[in-house]
Formats: sequence, C-alpha cells, structure tokens
Amino acid sequence: MQVAMKIWRYDAATGERALREYEIDAPEEATLLDCLDIVKDKVDGTLAYRKSCRMMICGSCGMRMDGAAVLACKTRMFDVAKEGRVPVISAMGNLPIVRDLVVDMDPFWEKFKAMKPYLQPGYDRPEDGREYRITQERMNAVKKEALCINCGCCVSECNAMESDPEFLGPQALAKGFRFVGDPRDAATVERLEQYSGEHGIWECTRCFFCNERCPKGVDPRDAIAKLGAEAIRTGIDRDMGAKHAKWFVRSTETTGWLRETELVPKTQGVVSSIKQMKFALNLIKHNKAGLAFPPHVAANVDEARRLRRLVLAQGRLGSAGHIQGERALAKLEHGHHDGGDPYGPGSFPKPYLPEDTE
Amino acid sequence: MIAEHDVLVVGAGCAGMRAAIEAFDAGADVAMISKLHPTRSHSGAAEGGINAALGNAKEDSPETHAFDTVKGSDYLGDQDSIEIFTREAPADIIQLENWGAFFSRQPDGRLAQRPFGAAGSPRTIYAADITGHVLIQVLWEQVCKRDIKVYEEFFAWQLVVDDGRCQGVICWDLLDGGLKTVGGKTTVLATGGAGRQYRVTTNAYACTGDGMAMALHVGVPLKDMEFMQFHPTTLYPTGILLTEGCRGEGAYLLNKDGERFMKRYAPNALELASRDVVSRSEQTEIDQGRGINGSVMLDMRHLGAERIIERLPGSRELAMTFAGVDPIYEPVPVRPGAHYHMGGVATDSDGATELTGLYAAGETACVSVHGANRLGGNSLMETITFGRRAGRAAAEWALSHTTIDVPEAVERDAERRLRALLDRTSGERPWKIREELGNSMLENFAVFRREEQMERQLEIIRELRERYRNVYVEDKGDVFNSDLTQAIELGNMLDTAWCMVQAGLARKESRGAHARPHDYPGRDDVNFLKHSITRWDGEAPELSYSEVRMTKWEPEERKY
Repeated sequence: MQVAMKIWRYDAATGERALREYEIDAPEEATLLDCLDIVKDKVDGTLAYRKSCRMMICGSCGMRMDGAAVLACKTRMFDVAKEGRVPVISAMGNLPIVRDLVVDMDPFWEKFKAMKPYLQPGYDRPEDGREYRITQERMNAVKKEALCINCGCCVSECNAMESDPEFLGPQALAKGFRFVGDPRDAATVERLEQYSGEHGIWECTRCFFCNERCPKGVDPRDAIAKLGAEAIRTGIDRDMGAKHAKWFVRSTETTGWLRETELVPKTQGVVSSIKQMKFALNLIKHNKAGLAFPPHVAANVDEARRLRRLVLAQGRLGSAGHIQGERALAKLEHGHHDGGDPYGPGSFPKPYLPEDTE
Repeated sequence: MIAEHDVLVVGAGCAGMRAAIEAFDAGADVAMISKLHPTRSHSGAAEGGINAALGNAKEDSPETHAFDTVKGSDYLGDQDSIEIFTREAPADIIQLENWGAFFSRQPDGRLAQRPFGAAGSPRTIYAADITGHVLIQVLWEQVCKRDIKVYEEFFAWQLVVDDGRCQGVICWDLLDGGLKTVGGKTTVLATGGAGRQYRVTTNAYACTGDGMAMALHVGVPLKDMEFMQFHPTTLYPTGILLTEGCRGEGAYLLNKDGERFMKRYAPNALELASRDVVSRSEQTEIDQGRGINGSVMLDMRHLGAERIIERLPGSRELAMTFAGVDPIYEPVPVRPGAHYHMGGVATDSDGATELTGLYAAGETACVSVHGANRLGGNSLMETITFGRRAGRAAAEWALSHTTIDVPEAVERDAERRLRALLDRTSGERPWKIREELGNSMLENFAVFRREEQMERQLEIIRELRERYRNVYVEDKGDVFNSDLTQAIELGNMLDTAWCMVQAGLARKESRGAHARPHDYPGRDDVNFLKHSITRWDGEAPELSYSEVRMTKWEPEERKY
C-alpha cells in the first residue's frame, strides 16, 4: 500500500524545525513504526526516533500522530492509507525535543524517581523466609498500575503539566498508587503525605486525556483519583483539592445538591473567600449563586444519603470505591463481543486427536 | 576516559540489572552502560514465566528441575552449573517477591505456578503473561532505590583490553555524540541475544549480539553458537511472541484440518513437549502441506473468555493487534520463529570468562545451563541467578584490585576506525544487507538444517561481510545518530552469524535445536557430546571443542 505522512523534523544543532512529507510503499500489515523504518532505510537515514520491541511492551516509540500520543508499533496504518489521509507525526508533548521524534526523558524519570518507586515493606522479609502471603484479589488493587511501561504517552497529553511543568503527572502518580495500593507496602502514610503536596495529586485537572491515550489501559487518572480518596481516608486533607472533594460529599449528603456558595470558604478558607467577595457579588447579581437560608434541600435527598450509607457499609471509602473509568483493557480496546459461538458455522474446525479419526 | 568504576555492567535488562544490584550490595562502585533505557530492554517482553522448584502448586525439587533441564538440553548442558542453578533459583524468586514483584497468586496467597513444556511439575512462576515486564519493573525499582549510575543510551562498541585483562568499554554516546570511554576494574556483559539475524524472530530490534561480538573481537571464546532456539508459537506474519503459557494453560496446536498433530510426535507431552520438538513438528506439518500460509493454528477457544482474559490478556491483545484475531473466537496462526540463543560468551558458573576482569550473564553468556535446547521459563531464571552470581564475582575481584589503565593508543585507534566509517561519503546502505542476512538465515539455518544449505549460507555471509566493508552511514550528526549504531549492529550480527553457521556445519549430528534429519538424524554422543568453542583469529572464526561437565546424569534417549 502507498503511505504518505508528514513528519516534524527538528535539528538540535541548528534549532531548525521543518515539516517534511514522505511517501513510501509498505506492506498492508505495516504499523507506523514499520513505515518510519522504511523512511529511514530507503529515503532519509537521518530520521531519528526510538524503537525496540515492536510489540508494545518496551515503551520506546511513544510519539504523536495528528496531535495525539500513540505507540508507533501499535498503530496500524492500513485504514489511514486506505482513506488517503496524510497524518502528521511529531514528538511527544510536555518533554523537550532532542531531535526529530526523540524527546529528552530525563524530566520524566526525575518525577518517577521522586515517588520513591520501590516497595517499602514494614519488615525486611517474612519471618519464614518465604513470599508474603497475599490473595490475588488484594494484589489486583494495583493490577492496572502494574501494566505501565513508562512510555510517556500520558505525560505527553497532560493538560495540567502543560500549565505546571513541575506537576508530578499521570505516570509518576500511577506508579505511586502502584505502591500505595500494594498490601505489602508499609509507607502508605508517608507516601500519601508526599504525593498530596504541591505539584501532587490535587493538581490534576481531571481532563482524562491520560486515560484516553494510555496504550496499555493503565488509566492513570483513575490511579490519581484513588490516591486522592486514600489520602482523605487517611486524614491527609490539608490541600485545597482534598477539602474541595470533601465538601462535595458533605454537601450532597446533607442537602442532595452542591452548595457552591459555601464551597469556596470550605475549600479555600475565610481570608481567601473575602478576597473573592467582588467576584461572589457579581455571581449573586447574575443569579448564579444561591443565598437561600436555610439552604434548599433536594426532594429525593434520601437517595444521596442511601448511597452514602452504602459506601460506608461496604467499606468502599478510599480507593476501593473507585470503579470510575474502569475497563478491562482487552474488552474495550478491541471490541469484545459476548455471545458469539467460537465453533459456529464458518468457524475453524473443532480440534480432534489423531486416533479419533481411525 | 570520562569516568572509572569498580564494576561496569554492559546491558541493563534482567541479567544486567540483577548483576548491578548485587555488585552494589557487595560494596562496589557500579555503573550500567546501555544503548536503551533499562526498562526498554527486551527481557521485558518475556511473557510466560520463570522456573524455580518452589513446590507451591505440586511437590517439586531442585533435583527434578535439574533433571528436566539436563534432559531438555539434550545432555549438552553443564550439569554442575545446572545443579547450582536449580538449587539457588527458589531463594532468588522469594527475593524478587520480597522486593515487590507483582507475581500471580494461588488461592492460599502463595506464588502461583503453571505447567510449562518438558517440566515434570508445574514449576513456572508467572505474572499473568507479562512476567518479563514485571521483573524489569521490580529490578528497575531496586536500581532506583540504590541510585545506581546508568550511562543511558550509550552504545557499547569495544572492550578495552590491556595488560591481559578487561579494563573498560568504549562507547558511542547516542544522545550527545562522540566516543566515550568508561573504565572499569571488571566488566559484566549482559547484552542479550542476537535474534535479529533472522527475518522471523520474537526479538526486539535491539537484539543484535553486541556483547557476543565484543567478546569475540577481543579473543574471548564463544560457546555452542550453532544452537538457536526456534519458539513454536510466534505470530504470523510478524514473528511476535505468543507465550508458551498459552499451551501451559491448555491451548492446542492444530493443523489445517483441526488435528492435534502433536499426538503423532510427542504422544505423552503433546503440546507441552520441549520447544525444539514442537517447532520441528510444526515445521514438518507445514512442509508436508498441512499448514495454512506457512503456519499452524494455536487454538484457545476451549479455554473460554474468562480464563483467557485473566491469564493471557497480553497474548490476546497481541493476537488482536498484530493478527486481527481474537483467540476467544478463532485460533491464532503461529509458526516457529528465532527466539533464543543457547550459545554465547563461554563462562564458568560465576560468569567469569577466559579474560581476566570480563564476565557475562544472561542470554549473552553460555554457562551452559541450556545446552542444545532451553526449557521455557529457564531463561528469566538464568538472568536472575547467574546475573547475581556474575555481579558478586565481578565485585569481589574489583574490590581486591586497584588500578585501571586505558592506553590512549586504544582510544585513538577506536576513534580512527569510527571516523573511517562515518567519513565514508558513498557506499551501500545497511538495510539491504540486513534484509538479505535475515532472509537467508531463515532459509538456510533455521529449524531443519542441510549440509548444502549451510555451506551456501557461509558463502552468503562471506559475501555480505564483503559488502559490509563498504557500508554507508548517511547520518553524519552527533545527536541521536541511530543510523550509525544500526550499521555497527549489522556488523555484529554478521560476525556472530558466521560463528553460528560454521559451528552448525561442523556438528554432524542432530541434537536439541540443531536438527539435520536428512544426513545426520540421530544424536551422536560418541563424537559430539561436546561444546563447540569459537575463537576469532583476527580474520575469521576458528572452531574447537570442549568437554561437557557431567555430574550424575548419563545421556539417555530423549522422549516426550
């Protein structure tokens, strides 16, 4: 098939940037990575990009196609070529470009290392000198986080990091939850304290781009939400973000709706609220903030309260309560269709052992 | 020389990181050199598991593990090393778990173990089907904890030998350019395999035999180079690995009629015979016209959606992404593909090579625990156990010696050779040579080997090496010049392939992965129960032989 693509080239020595178009002939099963290889081999040997495993496990080939982060090895080009589209290939975002599609991963790894990314068990090893005994079910709390291959696709797309480059970011925080959620780790409180600080958990803007773009189904935003919930459960709630979240719960539990007028003082404190008086008066003037006292109570507030009681009864405070955005990677990514008959008409013959035919 | 360390580890996959951690814990100043970031290493692509006789699933012992390994090796493995290996493996696994490895569990909370090919007991500890990934992560975490220095994206090119010992490594700095020499009192090679010599391979682009070639070029012997394992289940058409764990979980191999043909080749073990046996059976089916598009089918339908999604999610994702087939509903087309190099740099059971100060571990090395055929799950274990032993030995030697000397002449000479390559203004681009090597190795030196094909392959390699002398690097820049490193890698592949074919031609028998059904169909213990040893005489590889170390197992006929 004929594949055309435009690649953002960048020369570190001169600082020159240029969008170049390439047209190549590639086999139908070719991935974006295969196409880049063909360009490098046969058209322009100076094209720079990282690669290694070509089976979406090493995490080398994160880059952007039409502005969205992908693993080049996972991206089949057949549909793009068939539609005659000419995708634009560029380096990942939020990381300095070294050359062409190669980014400097140092800032990425610095944040990773800042998480104390290793198990800190309470004691050196179990007394009997054997493995820790833990059920699969408990380990599964960090199953998705353990899938992370550190490719950087989530970091590339992170909107919060774009405004605060020091934000720990989705991959580091997902790694953090990998240990907070691990029943063997004994440094939970220290970790939550640290991750709740400036540039931490509460800086995430919940745009969900990381979940959307993660090629492995790690769902980093879910990990951040779980860290937040665990922090609050542990009583680590000094951060405005934590207070904000807590007020949401309190407000819906008492009146069944969100009382925004009280949200600012509860989250930011009295002094900060006074400073924002002018803004608040403006909101009132335009009928955007309720001043009713006593506050309006929703008709079916009981439903919200029942929900709350259910969460408490099931012990689903903290990360255990987070099923939001949960998806079985294999199901959603590839369109798992239930109910088909693997042995139905037109299917591959049923297996048999040789003597069955005799 | 930009820096000096007690211990240098070249390569940062499982063996390299385990060696570095051990050397660090032994008190040495250790640094790793790797052309990839450590977590990008190909150990991470290992899927099915890692073998140790924990006896969690069923009664087991290091003794049984050792016997299975000896038999699997077609009696070419060194039995003293194998005994050390199986004895020390369980404690190494427990340590990995204690470090935080995310292994799968059985209902009582202990580590789960699954059956693997040619194993007498369910012995393979696993993490769903991403075991290598989990190991790479836990080792990287431990490296971070110790803050071990990594020369990342440094391409190791040449070993510095002075005063009869290895004293450092000359590298090309991929990120900033330029040759940089790092001195080390000892050096551990852990650069992995060379599967990229073949067009159909499970190996990453990075697996180009760099460590083997570096050792070879300074006169250190390679061992058993003719033995390249072909994995029975690599995805058609890309060669991407589908784990043996699929068959461990119960998957069938079918020919085009749906027949479980393994019954005819290995009536007892069926799909779980050793890899060489299964690959030969598949190839026979394909050659005799009972395949589909040069493949057979791996059938998991009867396992059911739940088990596939829980135990084999990665394999399913790979099959869907790269073959467009959902194994819940359809069998997956697979064929044998180059997978693992049993041979490598000859070492003793402490990873020491013939050259003082030089050690090797993992796939780069040949200890030899795998002999003529490796059992699934033994290679990850080898990286850990022998990575640790090599790291310990390298640290101990380094801590008892003080000086490092890298003569300027050596650096100047390297610079001159590099310039000669970079300054060439015309010539042949590497890709065509690489493609021809990959195609011809697959055709002439794969599952079944014929005398005349191997002779032809020697000719082809000689011709390709001739053309390689005129190879042209188009990129002249300093920053991330992968055009240069890929050209150097091609040279490494050509030289190691030469050693392999030469040793294969000389081994006039069938043993393990080296099968010659047309002229020497049987194993010949009288003449060939011995290791091949390949040395570089400056111009060409030279072949000799060494004894197999036996302890208690006499060679027997191998049946599954």
